[in-house]
Amino acid sequence: MKFVISREALLRPLQLVAGVVEKRQTLPVLSNVLLQVRGQQLSLTGTDLEVELIGRVTLDEVGIEGEITVPGKKLMDICRSLPDGAQLEIALEDQRVNVRSGRSRFTLSTLPATEFPNVDSVGEEKTFAMSQQVLRRAIDRTSFAMAQQDVRYYLNGMLFEVGQDSLRTVATDGHRLATCRVDISGPDEARQIILPRKGVLELAKLLTDADVSVTLAFSANHLRAHTENFSFTSKLVDGKFPDYTRVIPKNGTNVLIANRQELRQVFARTAILSNEKYRGVRLLLSTDILQVFANNPEQEEAEESVGVHYNGASLEMGFNVSYLQDVMSVIATENVKMTLSDANSSALLEEPEGGDSVYVVMPMRL
Amino acid sequence: MSKIHLLSPRLANQIAAGEVVERPANIVKELVENALDAGARRIEVDAEQGGVKLLRVRDDGCGIEQDDLALALSRHATSKITTLDDLEAVMTMGFRGEALASISSVSRLTLTSRFEQAEQAWQVTAEGRDMQTSVAPAAHPQGTTVEVRDLFFNTPARRKFLRTEKTEFGHLEEHLKKLALSRYDVAFTLRHNNRVIHQLRVADRGIEQERRVATLLSPDFIDHAIHVDTEAAGLQLKGWVALPTYSRSQTDMQYFYVNGRAVRDKLVVHAIRQAYRDVLYNGRHPAFVLYLELDPKLVDVNVHPTKHEVRFRDGRLVHDFLFRTLHQVLGNIRPQDQLAPASSSSLTAGVDSASAVGETRGFASGAVGNSEAANGLRLQTQAEPVRGIQAGEFRGQGGLPWQSSEPKPTPAAVAEQMNSYANLIRPLDSDTVPAAMAERPVLAGTAGFASPNDSVTSGNMATAVQTNTPVAFAGVAPAMPAGSADMPPLGFAIAQLHGIYILAENRQGLVLVDMHAAHERITYERLKAAVDRESVASQPLLVPQSMSVSEAEADAAEQYAAEFRALGVELARVGPESLLVRQIPVLLQQAPVTNLITDMLGDLIEHGSSDRILAHRNELLATMACHGSVRANRRLSVAEMNALLRDMEATERSGQCNHGRPTWTQLSMAELDKLFLRGR
Ligand SMILES: Nc1ncnc2c1ncn2[C@@H]1O[C@H](COP(=O)(O)OP(=O)(O)OP(=O)(O)O)[C@@H](O)[C@H]1O
Ligand SMILES: [Mg+2]
Ligand SMILES: [Zn+2]
Repeated sequence: MKFVISREALLRPLQLVAGVVEKRQTLPVLSNVLLQVRGQQLSLTGTDLEVELIGRVTLDEVGIEGEITVPGKKLMDICRSLPDGAQLEIALEDQRVNVRSGRSRFTLSTLPATEFPNVDSVGEEKTFAMSQQVLRRAIDRTSFAMAQQDVRYYLNGMLFEVGQDSLRTVATDGHRLATCRVDISGPDEARQIILPRKGVLELAKLLTDADVSVTLAFSANHLRAHTENFSFTSKLVDGKFPDYTRVIPKNGTNVLIANRQELRQVFARTAILSNEKYRGVRLLLSTDILQVFANNPEQEEAEESVGVHYNGASLEMGFNVSYLQDVMSVIATENVKMTLSDANSSALLEEPEGGDSVYVVMPMRL
Repeated sequence: MSKIHLLSPRLANQIAAGEVVERPANIVKELVENALDAGARRIEVDAEQGGVKLLRVRDDGCGIEQDDLALALSRHATSKITTLDDLEAVMTMGFRGEALASISSVSRLTLTSRFEQAEQAWQVTAEGRDMQTSVAPAAHPQGTTVEVRDLFFNTPARRKFLRTEKTEFGHLEEHLKKLALSRYDVAFTLRHNNRVIHQLRVADRGIEQERRVATLLSPDFIDHAIHVDTEAAGLQLKGWVALPTYSRSQTDMQYFYVNGRAVRDKLVVHAIRQAYRDVLYNGRHPAFVLYLELDPKLVDVNVHPTKHEVRFRDGRLVHDFLFRTLHQVLGNIRPQDQLAPASSSSLTAGVDSASAVGETRGFASGAVGNSEAANGLRLQTQAEPVRGIQAGEFRGQGGLPWQSSEPKPTPAAVAEQMNSYANLIRPLDSDTVPAAMAERPVLAGTAGFASPNDSVTSGNMATAVQTNTPVAFAGVAPAMPAGSADMPPLGFAIAQLHGIYILAENRQGLVLVDMHAAHERITYERLKAAVDRESVASQPLLVPQSMSVSEAEADAAEQYAAEFRALGVELARVGPESLLVRQIPVLLQQAPVTNLITDMLGDLIEHGSSDRILAHRNELLATMACHGSVRANRRLSVAEMNALLRDMEATERSGQCNHGRPTWTQLSMAELDKLFLRGR
C-alpha cells in the first residue's frame, strides 16, 4: 500500500474519523484507523464498536492498493503539525507504515487490517434522502437536552421520529425536554429510533451547513448516514423513549414575551451568584415586569428586573438557570415566548411565531 | 419408624447444649455469669488445654443451699425468675435455668458450694442417662466452684469441631474480657495451664477502670479514647470511643453492653458507624467500649439462645440516641483535647482540675452504699493527675466512672446477697497495670523527620520570611515565648515544609499539619453548615422515574412519605411493587437516584431512619471541598498558616480530613529530646 496526499486533504477526514476512536482502549486495534487504497480512492475508518465512521478522499494519482491499520491519534498529530501545503507519502513497508514529507520521516507501528472489526450491517430497510442543513438543525436545536449518564440509558440519546413528511428529534434528561420538527419527504412507513449520545454528536460534526443531500438508512439496529465523503454507522439504543406528547404542557395561560438577548444576559448575570451546585434562580412575574433573584450559600445575592410583555397572574417560580440559558442560546429569534400555568407546573419555551422547536423546563422548588 | 418414646434426660440436655455449648469459651461465659448473678466480688477461672481438659470457675458469691444443689443441675431450674413478668424485666445474666444442665450433659461436671449461712460445703455431680445426682459433703469456703472436665468426652462428633488449644483459649479469653469489661466492681483472674494470664483488681475509680480497659484492649486505645457519659430520654450511654484516627482494620475492638450484657446488635453497629461516617478512613472500623443503660422493660434479651442479640422496644429512639451522642462527641474534638499537657501540673487551657475532682468526689459519695471499705480508696482520686485526652474530655461530662453508683435493681434475693458480700472486697496482692501504660508511644515517622536532608527548603523558608508586610505578621506574635499562657493550642507557624506541611511551634513542642487535609476539612464543615442553613431545594421530574421494589419497600415508601418529602423526595406508589419517583433533591440530580431510594427504604425498614441523602450530599460537598482547598505546593505566608491553625482549633472534626486521614500531629519536646538523646 502506498499513496501520496496533501496535508489538507488528509486532515479533515482524519480528524473526524479519529474523533470516533476512544482515547483509552483495552483493545489495541480500536485505537487505530484503517487505511484502504482502491485505485484512486483512499478510505479511512475509525470505530468504537458502537459508532463507525468511514471517510473517503479521492487521490490525485492512483496509489498502490492495500490496507493496514495505524495509530489514529499519532497519525493525526503528525499530519496536524506538518506545515500547510505539505505533501505526504504514506507507504506500508515491512509491516510498518512510513510517512514521508519533505525532510521528515515517521515510522508507525501497524496491526493487520483483518483484525479491524466492522460494525455488522443488518439488512437495510428504509432509505431516504434529506438536506444536511436541515438534519443538522434538527440535531443542534435539541442535543443539549440529552442526558449524560442516566441509568435510564435510553435518555442518553436522541429520539428520531421519521414520518412521510416530517422528522422530529426529541431529547430529554428527565428535567427538561427539547424537540424540533422539520419537513422532509420521508419513507412511507413511520419509524422511531433512538440514536446514542455519541452517535448524535459525531453525526452532527459530519453534516455541513450547506443544502446538500445526506442519505439515511434505518435497519433493525443501526442507522447509517451516507454523504459524498462519509459513511456513518451507529448502533441504536433499544428502549422505550418517554412519550413527548404527554410532557409538553398544553394548558398554560400565562404568557410572557421577552427580548431574548436581554433575558439571556439577565440570566447570565444572576447565575453568578446562584448556588454553584444546583444553580437555582427565582423568577417573579407581574404585569410587564420580570424580576430574577439568586443567592448562594455565602448569602450573596443578585437581583435583576427586566421589562417584558406579560399580563398573566402574578407568579413566583424557581428554575435551574442553566436550563433556561441553554434554551436562550439555541433559539434564534429576537423574542422568546414562555408559557406558564403555575409555580409547580412545567414551563413551555418557544419562538413567539411558533417555529419548529419547543422546549419544556420543569421548575425547581427552592 | 420406631415407636415414640421420651428422650433420656441426658440426651435431652445434650440436644439443648447444642445451642449453648459449642466450645469452652461458651462454658466460661455461662459459669462466670452465674458467679456474677450470685454476687461474687472475685472470680477465678482456671483452664487447661484451652479449657477442653479442664475449666474451673471459682467465686465468692452467695453459694447454693444443700437442698438446691441437685436442682441446680437439672433443666428449667432457676432461682432467678418465677413469672413471665420477671422475664420481661430481667436484670440477671441467667434466666433460663439451662446452662448447668447442658454443660453437665456433655462433660464431667462437679459443683461444690457452701451457702452463706451454712457450716458445711457440699458437692454434687450428675451421672448416667438419667443424670442421677449425688450429693456429698466437701470442703469449700463460702461461694461456689464449678469444675468442668473432658468437654464432649461423650459426644465425639462435637469434639471434632474443637480447634487447637491456642484457638480455643483465644476464644475463651475473649469471652472473659467481655465479662471483665462489664463489671469493674469484680476482681477477675484467668489462668491457663497454671500460668496467670490476667489478674484484674476491683476498679472502682475511673482511672482504675481505664487501666483495666488498657490491660484488656491496649494502652493505645485508652490513650486515644474519648470518655462518653450522656443521658437523655431515659437512656444512658457511658464508656469510651476511640478517636477516628485510632481506627482498626477489623471490628475486633467493639464492645457494646446493654444493661451490662455484651451484645452484637445490627442497629447499634449501624448507629455507631453512622456517627463515625464523616471522620473514619474508608474501610476502617471504629474502636469502642460502650455501656448503654435503659429500663429493662424496654429491651428484650430473650431473643437468641446465646443472649448475644437483643431487641429494643423503640429501636428508632435508641438508634437516634446513639448516633446523636457519638456524632456530637466526635464532632467536638478539638486539637486542644488531643494534646498531652506539657507537664502534669499545667493542664491544657481551660481544664479546671478542681471541677474534675469535684465530679469524681460526687461519684465517690454516691457509691458509699455499695461499700464502706472502698470509700477511702476512692477519695484518693483528688491526688490523681488527669491525663491528656481525659483532661479535655472529662470536662463537664460527669466524672470518670462508667457504672452508675446506685445498686442495680436486681431481683431481691440476688441484691441482698450482693450487699452482704460487699465486705469481701479487698484488692488483690499483685499490681497488674502494665508498664506500657505509663508512657505514650513515640510517634511513628520520626526517622524521616530527623534526616538533615529533609530540612526546610530554602525556597519555602524564603516565603516564610518574605511575608514582611504588617498584615502578614499580624498573627505571628513574635514576642510571645513558646510556653506563654496565651499560646493557642496549635501554636504559631514557623515554616512550610516541601509545600505540603506546616510546621508550628506550640507549648508542647512541634506541630506538623498537612495543610491540604486540614483546609479541606475546614472548607467541608463550612459548606455543610452553609447548606444546612438553606431549605432543601427539590426538582420535580419532568419525566418521573419508575422503579420496581418489593411489596415491603413499597409499603415503607407510603409509610414514610412525610420523611421522604422532608428530604425533597416525592414517591408515588403505582402498583403493589412499583414506585414512581416524582421529585428529587436538586443536589442529587446527578446521583443514581433509584439506588439511593432503594437503600433508604432498606434503612427505614430496618432502623426506622435513614441518612443516605445526607451522606450522599456530604459526599458531594466533600468533593467540592477537596477542589476548593489549598493544594500541595501552594506557598502560604506565615499569616495564612496561622489563620489555618486558628481555623482548625475552631472547627469540628478538624483532626481528620474528609476521608478520615489525620490532619496534624504533635512531636513533643520530650519526643524530640529522645531523638537527640538529650537529658539522659
Ligand atoms: N456460682 C453460683 N453461685 C450460686 N448459685 C449458682 C451458681 N451457679 C448456678 N447457681 C444456681 O443454679 C441455678 C442454675 O444455674 P444455670 O446457669 O443452669 O441457670 P440460670 O443461671 O438460672 O439460667 P441460664 O440458663 O440462663 O444461665 C441458678 O439459677 C442459681 O440459682
Ligand atoms: Mg446461668
Ligand atoms: Zn483532597
